[in-house]
Amino acid sequence: MIFGGITITEASVIGLIVASLQFATLLYLAALGETIAERAGVLNLGVEGMMAMGAMAGYVGGVASGSPWIGFLVGGLAGALLASVHAVAAVALGADQVVSGLALTILGLGLANFLGDSYTSDTRRSLFKDVDIPGLSDIPWVGETIFSASPITYVAAALGVLTWFVLSRTSIGLGLRAVGESASTADSAGHGVAAIRMTAVVIGGAMAGFSGAFLTLDTVGAWSEGITVGRGWIAVALVIFGAWRPGRVGLGALLFGFTLALERRLQPFGIEFSPILLSMLPYILTVGVLVVISYRARNQPSPTPAGLGIAYRREER
Amino acid sequence: MKRLVLARRENPTRGGQPLAFLVGLVFALVIGALLLWSSGDPVIDTYQRMWERSFGSRDVISATLNRAVPLALAGLAVSIAAKMGLWNIGAEGQILFGATAAAGMARIGDSWPGPVLITAMLIAAAIGGALWALGPALARSEIGVSEIITTLMLNEVALRVIRYLQSGPWKDPDGFGNLQVTPLPDQAALGNIWERAHLGVLIALAVIAFFAWFMTRSVWGYELRIAGSSAKAATYIGISMRTKVLGVLLLSGAVAGFAGGIELTGTASRLNENISNGFGFAGIIVAALALMRPSGVLVVAVAFGGLQVGGQSIQLLGVSSAVSAILQALILFGAIGAGVLSAYQIRLVDRKVA
Repeated sequence: MIFGGITITEASVIGLIVASLQFATLLYLAALGETIAERAGVLNLGVEGMMAMGAMAGYVGGVASGSPWIGFLVGGLAGALLASVHAVAAVALGADQVVSGLALTILGLGLANFLGDSYTSDTRRSLFKDVDIPGLSDIPWVGETIFSASPITYVAAALGVLTWFVLSRTSIGLGLRAVGESASTADSAGHGVAAIRMTAVVIGGAMAGFSGAFLTLDTVGAWSEGITVGRGWIAVALVIFGAWRPGRVGLGALLFGFTLALERRLQPFGIEFSPILLSMLPYILTVGVLVVISYRARNQPSPTPAGLGIAYRREER
Repeated sequence: MKRLVLARRENPTRGGQPLAFLVGLVFALVIGALLLWSSGDPVIDTYQRMWERSFGSRDVISATLNRAVPLALAGLAVSIAAKMGLWNIGAEGQILFGATAAAGMARIGDSWPGPVLITAMLIAAAIGGALWALGPALARSEIGVSEIITTLMLNEVALRVIRYLQSGPWKDPDGFGNLQVTPLPDQAALGNIWERAHLGVLIALAVIAFFAWFMTRSVWGYELRIAGSSAKAATYIGISMRTKVLGVLLLSGAVAGFAGGIELTGTASRLNENISNGFGFAGIIVAALALMRPSGVLVVAVAFGGLQVGGQSIQLLGVSSAVSAILQALILFGAIGAGVLSAYQIRLVDRKVA
């Protein structure tokens, strides 16, 4: 089919949707983790570094064990370990969250490149096999895309639902949100501020690590230096774009994932538009969303956790 | 029963920060040694080579100074914004866009004499950096949007502006299909003043000296410090917080953009997307370690410049150059730990028996 010079074939559209889902999975895992940390009041700008660690460790673990699932868990563990540095520095020691987080990105990228130096490979093979959901995967279009995706895509969706449920429907989530809104009030109410914040940061790190492991074990099928190419920053953007809510962050992940997938397909589709200009869109949209949120915050409650970025020291209460 | 507790000191240790930096350095070198040792790399050889190739001879010292220039200017840019309690995380993007503006100026004035062209390029770079900070600055001063994320996002956009220019508008017609922009005219290169060190070293020193004076001795700098420590006090004596926020972010962006211009004319033959090479992010670490003081920024930038230059040299030993980035980050985390210890003391106290 050709619409005004734009060439569309069934295969190219299916390819676009499949790639969108892959990017969305990658972004969602990391952004979901950052959402948890930020809802507890801790900004962690180390996502890019944690993702790189997860990408390296996940791939090495997957190849060494022969099981992508073990690799996936190793990637999460590596992300969590790195995040614990931020947890100690920014929460326990009360260092500035911005500085500590950025140093974490530098540390994570450095460590991943150093430790993964001898595992760089050119052979690319995805260790995860896509899952065909019986019955549903035979449906035309939808079946070939949504119902025969990577198993990690379903894991990411499940984690999204779980995060939403825990944050908004359980007492643990209530405690976490209380700590993120006002640490001193939560402290008075008997919540362990430091413990909750540190746990949230470490869980966030594990999810960024999962995201990196998905990248090397599934999407790319290899590890190499600089493989995260700034996707961690998009995940940070996504948390704001989705107004710190797991569901909206998920919708944002689909939109941003679609833009990333479209970037490489503009020319095959015959669309005369620079893919580089398109790739600026997620960042510009996020700035726009922040402006709108702040503008509206004059009349209605802001979705931003009120205690975000503020270190808490009990003796200064 | 006794137990150990952390108690905040009444008076933080004087001269604590240089000490914290040294503790951080030792901490980084120790952890780095463990990492090298555990992966079978030669520890002593690696460190020795890093030292020799960063501070070991006049030639390499001049290379270290060149590398310290963008780090120091980026660190200065971050410190200027920090005086108002603002975080300019966008130095990376402002450096890139500053360099882009300078490269644009070089396209306009490619027949101008060298000194005129370079001056015009550096002015364009500063204006470019300020322009790149304008959006976040206005959003912060007029609507109150946190500058942290907006400046961060624009880094990625600036990177793509350069990619876009490479892909078409400024594409080198003689580039054999390579995605690169046309090279700078020959006279647009800053001359060397000592060994490999270019004139930018002196310019950066002058800029830092100026801001050290400006931030502490000028009326504007004085008002800035009041505004930074108490918005209420500032408003009471008639200082407009809005214009101060706007002004300080634009100034911060201009300094970072200027760094991009210096880097372009000093070290590069053409605009490229690695012109910043992480200087904006490293500058934040530099500024934090220097406690946002211009003199401290200078010292830390030279140390980090040495680490980066030395780090590139160990690849010949078969050691990953990533060691340099790891050490830089670990210095910060070590100094954070040391800083906390200097603000607190560990005391043995009687445990209450419940």
